[in-house]
Amino acid sequence: MAWWTFWRQWQSLEQQRQALLKHTPAGPLRDYLAVPFADPNSDFRTLTYTALDFETTGLEPQQDELLSLGVVDMRDMAIHLGTAQHEIIAPQNDIPEASAVIHAITDDQAALGISCRRAIELLLQRLAGKVLIAHYARLELGFINACCRRLYGGQFLIPTVDTLLLGRRWIDNRNLYLQQSDLRLNALRNRFNLPRYKAHNALTDALATAELFQALTVQRLPERHVPLKELEYRGKY
Amino acid sequence: MEIELEEIRDFLAQRPPFDHLPDAALDLLLGEMSIRYLRRTSQVPPEGDTGDFLYLVRKGALEVHDSTGKLMEKLGEGDYFIPYCDNPDSERLQANAEEDTLVYLAPCDVLKRLRSSSPEFDHFFSAGTNERLRLAIHQITDDGGLNNSSLMNISAAELFESRVVQTSPDSTVLQAAQIMTEHGVSSLLITADDRLVGIVTDKDLRRRFICQRLAYDTPIEQVMTPNPIYISSDTPAFEALLRMTREGVHHLPVVDPDGLKGLISTTDLIRYQSAHGPYLVREILRAERIDDLKNSAARLPRLQIQLAESGATAHHIGQVVSSVTDAITQRLLVLAEQQLGPAPLAYAWVSGGSQARQEQTSYSDQDNALILADGYQSEHEAYFAALANFVCDGLDACGFYYCPGEAMASNPKWRQPLARWRSYFSTWIEKPEPMALMLSSIFFDLRLVAGDAELFDQLQQGVLEQTQKNKIFLAYMAANALQHRPPLGFFRQLVLISDGDHDNTFDIKHRGLVTIVDLARVYALSCGCTEVNTLDRLRFSAAHGALSQEGAANLIDALEFISILRIRHQAKQLKQGQAADNYLPPNELSALERGHLRDAFKVIAEMQSALDSRYQASRFY
Repeated sequence: MAWWTFWRQWQSLEQQRQALLKHTPAGPLRDYLAVPFADPNSDFRTLTYTALDFETTGLEPQQDELLSLGVVDMRDMAIHLGTAQHEIIAPQNDIPEASAVIHAITDDQAALGISCRRAIELLLQRLAGKVLIAHYARLELGFINACCRRLYGGQFLIPTVDTLLLGRRWIDNRNLYLQQSDLRLNALRNRFNLPRYKAHNALTDALATAELFQALTVQRLPERHVPLKELEYRGKY
Repeated sequence: MEIELEEIRDFLAQRPPFDHLPDAALDLLLGEMSIRYLRRTSQVPPEGDTGDFLYLVRKGALEVHDSTGKLMEKLGEGDYFIPYCDNPDSERLQANAEEDTLVYLAPCDVLKRLRSSSPEFDHFFSAGTNERLRLAIHQITDDGGLNNSSLMNISAAELFESRVVQTSPDSTVLQAAQIMTEHGVSSLLITADDRLVGIVTDKDLRRRFICQRLAYDTPIEQVMTPNPIYISSDTPAFEALLRMTREGVHHLPVVDPDGLKGLISTTDLIRYQSAHGPYLVREILRAERIDDLKNSAARLPRLQIQLAESGATAHHIGQVVSSVTDAITQRLLVLAEQQLGPAPLAYAWVSGGSQARQEQTSYSDQDNALILADGYQSEHEAYFAALANFVCDGLDACGFYYCPGEAMASNPKWRQPLARWRSYFSTWIEKPEPMALMLSSIFFDLRLVAGDAELFDQLQQGVLEQTQKNKIFLAYMAANALQHRPPLGFFRQLVLISDGDHDNTFDIKHRGLVTIVDLARVYALSCGCTEVNTLDRLRFSAAHGALSQEGAANLIDALEFISILRIRHQAKQLKQGQAADNYLPPNELSALERGHLRDAFKVIAEMQSALDSRYQASRFY
């Protein structure tokens, strides 16, 4: 793994995409990588985003499983509800009680879900050419990547904005006292006068994240040009 | 669209007009909606946006301005703003976010497509302010009618006894009494050639036969009440009740153009609720002591609650409550005369204010005056002072408290011979000073309660002739009518006042009813209308061209809607044993009611500004 970490320090995301495309076998991942990434210099208002949230059986992408996904797109700085999608994903193993308490997905419901393979295929189609919005994106990226490695033997990559990082930057810039709990999705939403949604439904959380992204970037709207790279998550926490 | 969008779906489904959409239509709409986050101070629609959206505020606040930048309304959670969609009220409005605001956008073309899915939804977008208000009143009256015992919803035809017991005028009293006993009835209709000529009741037999020691073979014609008042079978039961209350009778024959149909009695009505009006009046007119009157008056709040619950309109409730007050006043005058002896000269006892307008709810304060015949001498002063004090004290004891402004017959100023009254009015009309105008809501709304109708008519005729001609006076009255303004609308838990200020509660009386009552008074005085009830004044004024038909219809709807809210608010308070007031906290209003109230305010504001420009009233305030 060391070569990868080293390599990407001086490669742009787009260069990495082109490099990965060469090494990825034919299939959904390769199709995904064939679509160029958003230019990090383009104005963030002109781009199309997909907000994503997963419910999972745990926090370890290597061993835990996906239970549901929720996505919704944002274009021209408006969230379009017609693009909202929610899928229950059937896990291989039983759902641990500890996680069922949070997401309230039962084994019976999960059994009716689509396969993990189908879910990742669907996601790759939707994410092609878009910018990902997630709250604590490391988790979503980790799970997609783990699935792609297992299913297609390849590496996943996407330009990403992380509302947790943007929120931390917003608080830091104002020299406000910061507690870890202040960075939770609902705590940040509350700070921006956003309504309280029921948490832990993947689609509601994806929507909640997209709205939070709007709120976090609204003060930059009067600026003439704000390149995506100023908002982007570059794999550091 | 995904069912998991329930956060937004639920929010929409709770709010009019979206609450009328069937599920499928709601899902379709959701799929076409988008969400934006607006920065504080930013414009809606955003620059470059066509604005062809409905903007529903999910969180935050918008301020809406007209083209001159005047604040029109403030929108909070659940309120919506439609800048351009081809709505019939289309003024070009502009809003800006007062706080950071999250809005849901629904495209106008989609809303348009969905109109066919629900008539109510369609109405919301196709109808103007006025039509929406009218629909709302119909719905409220329908709601009240859920209670099928409501007298509002049935006609006399459904209540009366069609087995008519009758006899001819030449029957003897003995025969008549035998027929009544045989049929077990307490009243008998007297008919000639199938035509109603009279009615006899048990009471008539007692009073006009037994006590008069007449012979058994006296023709019934001599004992009956000739030419009794009657109603037609399509008269609403409620009207029948009102007639009985006003006329003090307990039996009403039902007669249609094709002949006698039957008889309706208070017993028929009492099977239904809210039949207490006539009994109360009857009890009052028989009372011998102030304490009896007090007991009767104490039942007014319950009567008001009953009427409200049976779906009576505010107009009807006002009439019933005022008839009870009238009866108490009339009875007090009789008791006074019993004590003081007969009046040395003719007088007219008149009420002013809400009692005169028949818009009273229980326990309004009293406004009244005495007009004395012109033969008045200073030696009569003591008698009428005693009479007036007796009645005013009695009314106060019954809960109609002394008027804080002393506009009562007990005040010597308002106990004057006709000539003096005429000169009062001449002064008020020729030199309408602010002080005089303060009294206008009392003395330009006068109604005869007891005494000499001629005296009252003479005064009223003279006054109306003068007011019609005097433009300066009318302009003052118009300015007076513009002192109370309706609110702009509601914002969260606040009532938004025109200059951007706010109240914590909606003052139904001063910011609602009074605004319409004052407008109606100006129209009425400008066209010689003798009616004082606001609804009647509006109808009369429209019929005589002082006001457009449409303007009158809209004001009547606004009046009815606001009055219903007041009646309900007060019924709720009375039921909880609280004193009824006129202060409605915004959180007692549903989103729909807020919307309708906003429509009502708009109607009033439009009519006020029309009045303002017609009389250039702004010169005087």
